[in-house]
Amino acid sequence: MPMWIRASSIRVKKRSPSHHVTKSPVTKMKKNPYLVIGILIIGLFSLIALLAPLLSPDDPAQIDAGNLLMPPSGAHLLGTDSLGRDLLSRMIYGSRISLIIGVIAVGIAVFLGVILGSLSGFYGRFIDTLIMRFADIMLCFPTFFLILAVVAFLEPSIINIMVIIGLTSWMGPARLIRSEILSLKEREFIQAERAIGASSVRIITRHLIPNAAGPVLVNATLGIAGAILLETGLSFLGLGVQPPIPSWGNILIEAKSTLGIAWWITVFPGLAILITILGFNFIAEGLKKIIG
Amino acid sequence: MQNLLEIKNLKVEFHLDNQVITAVSGANLDIKENEVVVLAGESGSGKTITALSICRILPHNAGIVSGSINFAGREMLTLKENELIKIRGRDISYIFQEPVSFLNPVYTIGNQIMEAIRLHQHKNKKEAYEETIELLKKVKIWEGKRVFQSYPHQLSGGMNQRAFIAMSLACQPKLLVADEPTTSLDVTIEAEILELLMELKKSLKFSLLFITHNLSIARKIADRIFVMHKGKVVEEAGREELFKSPEHFHTKELINAYERIGRI
Amino acid sequence: MTNYLIRRLLGIIPLFIGITIISFAIVHLAPGKPTQIEQALNPKVSQEVRLRLEKLYGLDKPLHIQYINWVVQLSKFNFGRSFIDDRPVAEKILERIPVTLAINISSLILIFLIAIPLGVKSAIKAGTAFDHATTVLVFLLFAAPTFWLALLLMQLLSIQLGWLPISGLKSLDFEYFSFGKKILDLAHHLFLPIVVSTLGGFAGLTRYMRSNMIDALKQPYIYTARAKGLSERQVIYKHALRNAVLPVVTIIGLAIPGLLGGSVIFESIFAIPGIGRLFYEAVMSRDYPLIMAEVVLGGVLTMLGNLIADIAYAYVDPRIKYKS
Repeated sequence: MPMWIRASSIRVKKRSPSHHVTKSPVTKMKKNPYLVIGILIIGLFSLIALLAPLLSPDDPAQIDAGNLLMPPSGAHLLGTDSLGRDLLSRMIYGSRISLIIGVIAVGIAVFLGVILGSLSGFYGRFIDTLIMRFADIMLCFPTFFLILAVVAFLEPSIINIMVIIGLTSWMGPARLIRSEILSLKEREFIQAERAIGASSVRIITRHLIPNAAGPVLVNATLGIAGAILLETGLSFLGLGVQPPIPSWGNILIEAKSTLGIAWWITVFPGLAILITILGFNFIAEGLKKIIG
Repeated sequence: MQNLLEIKNLKVEFHLDNQVITAVSGANLDIKENEVVVLAGESGSGKTITALSICRILPHNAGIVSGSINFAGREMLTLKENELIKIRGRDISYIFQEPVSFLNPVYTIGNQIMEAIRLHQHKNKKEAYEETIELLKKVKIWEGKRVFQSYPHQLSGGMNQRAFIAMSLACQPKLLVADEPTTSLDVTIEAEILELLMELKKSLKFSLLFITHNLSIARKIADRIFVMHKGKVVEEAGREELFKSPEHFHTKELINAYERIGRI
Repeated sequence: MTNYLIRRLLGIIPLFIGITIISFAIVHLAPGKPTQIEQALNPKVSQEVRLRLEKLYGLDKPLHIQYINWVVQLSKFNFGRSFIDDRPVAEKILERIPVTLAINISSLILIFLIAIPLGVKSAIKAGTAFDHATTVLVFLLFAAPTFWLALLLMQLLSIQLGWLPISGLKSLDFEYFSFGKKILDLAHHLFLPIVVSTLGGFAGLTRYMRSNMIDALKQPYIYTARAKGLSERQVIYKHALRNAVLPVVTIIGLAIPGLLGGSVIFESIFAIPGIGRLFYEAVMSRDYPLIMAEVVLGGVLTMLGNLIADIAYAYVDPRIKYKS
């Protein structure tokens, strides 16, 4: 709501004068809280994933018939599941799965997207129409439907899931790269550079990459979040990561049957997913702010 | 004769993140009734902000720090929002640069003009419609019905600006503030609009505060000229006086620049 | 605008062909013929029987012939027969569409009713506590997997409080209920699925609405509106809002793929007999005619949704409706 400030009553914040002052890292952090919090969260989870064998109190596959469905306690900080396995350990190892799947799936998507988008942008005309039409068609399918359909015929394995998610997510990065190339083609300074004989390599490295990197990075970050959500959904339906390999999604399979009996099986994996996705979303927000 | 509008020592600041920028640091201006005053200066000199401050239609991060704006005997800066609303569009009207941007793209021209009429006058739809057509005639738009039903993007820049002028004159204001209304128009259209404004001023009797960076326009239409530079009004003079014997160095700079380009 | 419409409608044809090609490709390029998988699931099926099945389904013909046959059948609305119970696929799908439609339309309506005012208010009060709180809420809802929210709500409302039934569409003795009680019973069962679907969707729209509104309020015509003497309320709701809400019309169409995908999961959790659950069952049992049909259906619905979104926007934005 705009504030109409009257002549008499104005609180003027007398801060620095109107010239540019270099800001300390602390000030920069305060100005972009999303980025900082996001990096902290993802950094923490990545560390946990990396150091899983060291941090995990128990063997995640260790079945302990005497301790089925125990609530959180000193021995098992997050409780146990219906086979007596320590939930915390399973979740620590599960973080590995989720992060790896997310990152590699998006890696594949970005790789494909950059190639296809570049071909589209550089060569234009027929190739461009072909690739963009292909993208349009792919975008017509609800992603989940596509992935499920494919998974129906391939065995659900970690690699398959990564590849499928990658193959169905290239359209975003492709479009970004393509539109960046197209807009560069139009810009006058590029025409000027070409006039003085600058090579394509130079144009790519000095103009395309810096300009396109930002949006592609934001897209990729959100893509990782999306991939993790897809994987957890798939695993929950039994079509993703197969037990006994622990994934936050397949731990939640039990949640349905233990509703009301073992709240910890529902709450903790879900929270972990929530916080991870939140972390990636925060990073994306922070990046958006930097790009402007 | 008492002044219609008197601005004294106006100071306006902007708050951006951590910075405070002074857009206007000392503006002094006065306009009499039926007078044409040109506020001249380069971009960033604070002319637009000064003009917007009269009715306090500033961006939300701008604040009037000090000064006084007196219109027809009333101190504007102490008026509350609900009192200002009665003055805006009725006693004081604005026209802006680039009419197509300053008109709402999703409402027809007619709709927007009628809104201006019915805001301050008790007229039903039929009366307002007829008055709109009359107003359009006054600005030399003869195809009133077609323009009424058109959207801004369907009309040319000149047409839009005329319609805008019609809208601003709907309630017979005493003061019309024109912020660079011809800067984005083609030169031939520019001449038409300027002529129109001067004719209307004569027949409807209002004062015109015309903001521009174009000194040749100033020379054509002004009774008096105020020159602004970096947030301050640095010179005030009658039209011929200014060009014959400019006092402030910036005024001299401006006049020199124009002479060099051969405009004057 | 008619030009635009015609171009858009013509563009549907290649898209549709593309959809069928991809749907076909997915199913047939997977290693192993569908009948082999059936054989793997049921070892009693001998080689002979398998070959006969293949001949029956035309699986022994070259791929492109199979494709053409299939598309020809599609144009006659013959989606084949389910592998599981030999019923026509079209029938199985049609009987389940109403439920999915009911849930998704209800949640779409709710999403609009909540997200638009919330987004607008956040924009008006940008930077205030209200805005920050809304932003946090929106982020959380974005990040929470919908099936998890479903589980939590089930836990709370069905089990602990016992207010709502856990799953299914109807109570066991539904048939004996009076009409009024039947409606109530359905509403009772659909409440959670609709709520879950709504929660999953309104976060995005709220943020979109908020940023549209903020952009609208920065436009030049807002200065004009104020200069005319309009009250702040009128400026916001008459001038800014109309511009901000325009693109939202497209969301109706664009929400379709998300809703379809989401319905697979929550229909499974809540045991709702809709097309999402049907798809899941088909995938689990490798019922490939049904899978293909659903994939094509999903593609076509999305395509139609996009089309409707574009046409609706062209109709509603005067700058496109009346090209100068």
